[in-house]
Amino acid sequence: MAAYIARRLVMLPLVAFGVTVLIFALLSFLDPAVRAGAFITNPNQLKAIDSIIRTYGLDRPIYEQYWTWLREVFRGNLGWSQTARMPVREAIAAFFPGTLELTFYAFVPIMLIGVWLGTAAAVHRDRLVDHLSRIFSISFRSLPSFVWGLLVLMVFYGRLSWFPPGRLSLDADLFVRSGQFHAYTGLVTLDALLNGQLWIFADALRHIAGPAITLTMVSIALLVRLMRSSMLEVLNQDYVRTARSKGLAEPVVIDKHARRNALIPVITLSSYTIVSLLGGVVITETIFNFPGIGRWGAFAAQQLDIPGVTGFTMFVAALTVLGNLAADVLYVFFDPRIRLR
Amino acid sequence: MSARHQLVALTLVVLLTALVGSAHGQAVRNPDTYVVVRFADPETLDPAYAYDTASSEIILWHIYETLIFFNGSSTGLFVPMLATEVPSAANGGISRDGRTYTFKIREGVRFHDGSPMTADDVKYSLMRFMFMDRDGGPSALLLEAILNVHGTRDERGTLNMALFQEADRAIQVRGNTVSITLKQPFAPFLSIMAAWSMVQSKRWAVQNGDWDGTAATLARFNNPKKPEDTVMFNKANGTGPFKLVQWDRQTRQTILERNEGYWRRPAAFRRVIIRVVEDFGARRLMLQNGDADFAEINRPEIPQVEGLPGVRVIDDLSALITDGIFMNMRIDTSGGNPDVGSGRLDGNGIPPDFFADLNVRRGIAQAFDYNTMIRDCWRGKASVGNGPIPKGLFGYNPQGKWYAYDPQRAAAAFREARGGQLWATGFRFGLLFNTGNATRQCMGQVLKAGVEALNPRFRVDVRSITFPQLLQLYRESKLPMWVIGWAADYPDADNFVTPFLHSSGTYSKAQGYNNPEMDRLIQQARFETDPAKRRATYARIQEIAYNDVTTLYSYRVTVRVMRTWVRGWYHNPAFFAPYIYPMSKSP
Repeated sequence: MAAYIARRLVMLPLVAFGVTVLIFALLSFLDPAVRAGAFITNPNQLKAIDSIIRTYGLDRPIYEQYWTWLREVFRGNLGWSQTARMPVREAIAAFFPGTLELTFYAFVPIMLIGVWLGTAAAVHRDRLVDHLSRIFSISFRSLPSFVWGLLVLMVFYGRLSWFPPGRLSLDADLFVRSGQFHAYTGLVTLDALLNGQLWIFADALRHIAGPAITLTMVSIALLVRLMRSSMLEVLNQDYVRTARSKGLAEPVVIDKHARRNALIPVITLSSYTIVSLLGGVVITETIFNFPGIGRWGAFAAQQLDIPGVTGFTMFVAALTVLGNLAADVLYVFFDPRIRLR
Repeated sequence: MSARHQLVALTLVVLLTALVGSAHGQAVRNPDTYVVVRFADPETLDPAYAYDTASSEIILWHIYETLIFFNGSSTGLFVPMLATEVPSAANGGISRDGRTYTFKIREGVRFHDGSPMTADDVKYSLMRFMFMDRDGGPSALLLEAILNVHGTRDERGTLNMALFQEADRAIQVRGNTVSITLKQPFAPFLSIMAAWSMVQSKRWAVQNGDWDGTAATLARFNNPKKPEDTVMFNKANGTGPFKLVQWDRQTRQTILERNEGYWRRPAAFRRVIIRVVEDFGARRLMLQNGDADFAEINRPEIPQVEGLPGVRVIDDLSALITDGIFMNMRIDTSGGNPDVGSGRLDGNGIPPDFFADLNVRRGIAQAFDYNTMIRDCWRGKASVGNGPIPKGLFGYNPQGKWYAYDPQRAAAAFREARGGQLWATGFRFGLLFNTGNATRQCMGQVLKAGVEALNPRFRVDVRSITFPQLLQLYRESKLPMWVIGWAADYPDADNFVTPFLHSSGTYSKAQGYNNPEMDRLIQQARFETDPAKRRATYARIQEIAYNDVTTLYSYRVTVRVMRTWVRGWYHNPAFFAPYIYPMSKSP
């Protein structure tokens, strides 16, 4: 297995390299003036297009531009992100913790509720629980995330004032900046606990709740359905019948014998869910004004912020490789029948 | 579902309904903090680098102050700020030849770090503003006014060192006065000083590794590649009523705190927070809940905030913005240009010089249904322009003539166009605007409808492209006709007539418009310091703009959205954003 992991890790820089070549190849289709647009914020700057092209070498051959960029990367400089208003490396470091935190607070309920609801639906097949779980999960899935996002925002912030947008409220934000608060990890909820500031923790949780609820709603359907069908399949297996005929109590049969085995395909799905959540959830982050990496990546793409897009894509590519690797390893752990070679 | 479950569910529903229905208190939220939500990040906080509204909103008059300031809502009258009087011929502040302006610098003003502001700081700041001269930056505004040059570098990007000596001589410090001698008289000079003469501390800047103000280090300082390369990118030391606490680019907010050592009475707000919230839904809710005091809202979304309890929408505020539909008299057709079709006058396209024919332009101007444009495209929030100078600005001539929608006259003009050939062959060209701008799209469609109704052989294709693509076609002179706007850098007619009508102007050059008489008049008005004569020259410019009709103009009004508890707000069209110092909150 170690050899397998090592081989996959060697792939990592290759994937990242391939991604950047692809981006620069796409770049060659863009006119220099189009790219100069990234530096122009108002029409009063129109006269400067030519000097911008000259200063940034936007009209040089694309391989030259790539080489210039690559040389800087080897020096540890990923370039300047015009949209983040900071260097790309800093931007990743600044925006990723938020996304990581949001991923955690969305992923845990997705898994817990998804597995529980899927199991319940399978066990009570064609009964009320089953129907309800299907209706809810399908209706959550069938509307786009910006609709749910706005609804969540309107109800929980507009009406109830429970879950405001952003990362922290005014007082909490000022406290975090006051010097009395030490940011150990960049994950606000965790830092709040480490600082022993429960009110900051609660405040951060309140802010993360809206996007987390939205993500849970839109992502849970797939899990519920997979869990349900997987569970139904397992429930029909011989060993479940054996367990029942041994006279084991039903909860034991469900929890120990059936559910554990039904979880195997769910693990695969969950690793994809994590990777897609970590890559940033553009729409949800934008609606809730949540400073995550997805919002930045999308904005960078819109604004033709090339260093930003390249850095973001490399990062997400690396995440995907690592996420899939983790899923493979977990698979072996949960299912002894599988061997990695 | 068991009876117990039903009961629980029912209780939950009742509880939720009660919570949803509960009204919000209208007590003032965060009474000593002013929160703005807007939709774009500042590019930098450096006054010599910044050339976008989002940056100016934060730094201008809040962190940094200018030598003089606009008087109330006036764009042409000034009051002293960091100078103790507004230079005039009467007080000896403007020399008889109109070239030298002397500013007496206010004493007792301290920077945020406590050090006193001096005349040397003023000179340093002006020099720094001119010589940073980053590509696409604001430096040209002062370079043109003082040294009559557009930039500090030549075509190949080589720095012109002689310019530094020239500027060093032009700006003289004597005791607590700074006198600036312009290469030529320049009527808008005070207007530029009111908006762009932000003063920084030289000592502080040099200590922090900024330019030391000498020629020796100029090359290293000139034209920084990225905003971060300048010290004042995210650090500030000004004299304004607010100090910079932090520009947090991660959470996208800027925090300012009251300057307790301000040279006037300290501001009412202890804190100012300017936050980027891209999504309109969130911005609207923050305003509604009182978490934001002031929100930037796009015109099409205004109906959704009107009538919100506790929210005030102030509309029909004059803005120094002129929108235009531009006609290109020298279209580049090389290498294929889809927007001119065949590139010939054969009914399937237009030749490069199509709009060079005055009859064509007059035909277009009279085939455009101005009233429909104002009503449908602007929802009444604009007016028809008679030239580039917007309403309310000195030089605007309310009596100036403009065309009216008149299909018969339009047809007559087209019948005469191109030796009478055009009416029989017809034409086809593209009218371009940037994707997503519904107003511009509507303007294009109104024009299309008017022109195509004249003759079935007339075709206008209204086409949207992204803003960067528009830049490309603009640069290549490939746009036959396009829609774009211009917002004032400073409130003076010169800032409008030059880009729209001078042969070297941002738009007129791209249109291939070159009328030597027009150039002469624009120059003349620029140097003329006698208001009456200057006004007459602008009237003459308007007349030629009418006769030559290269562009169809409209003037928009603007709108501000804030909580009703905001006090002390007032509008000046020259402001990029509200002036926070006089503002406060009370129920």
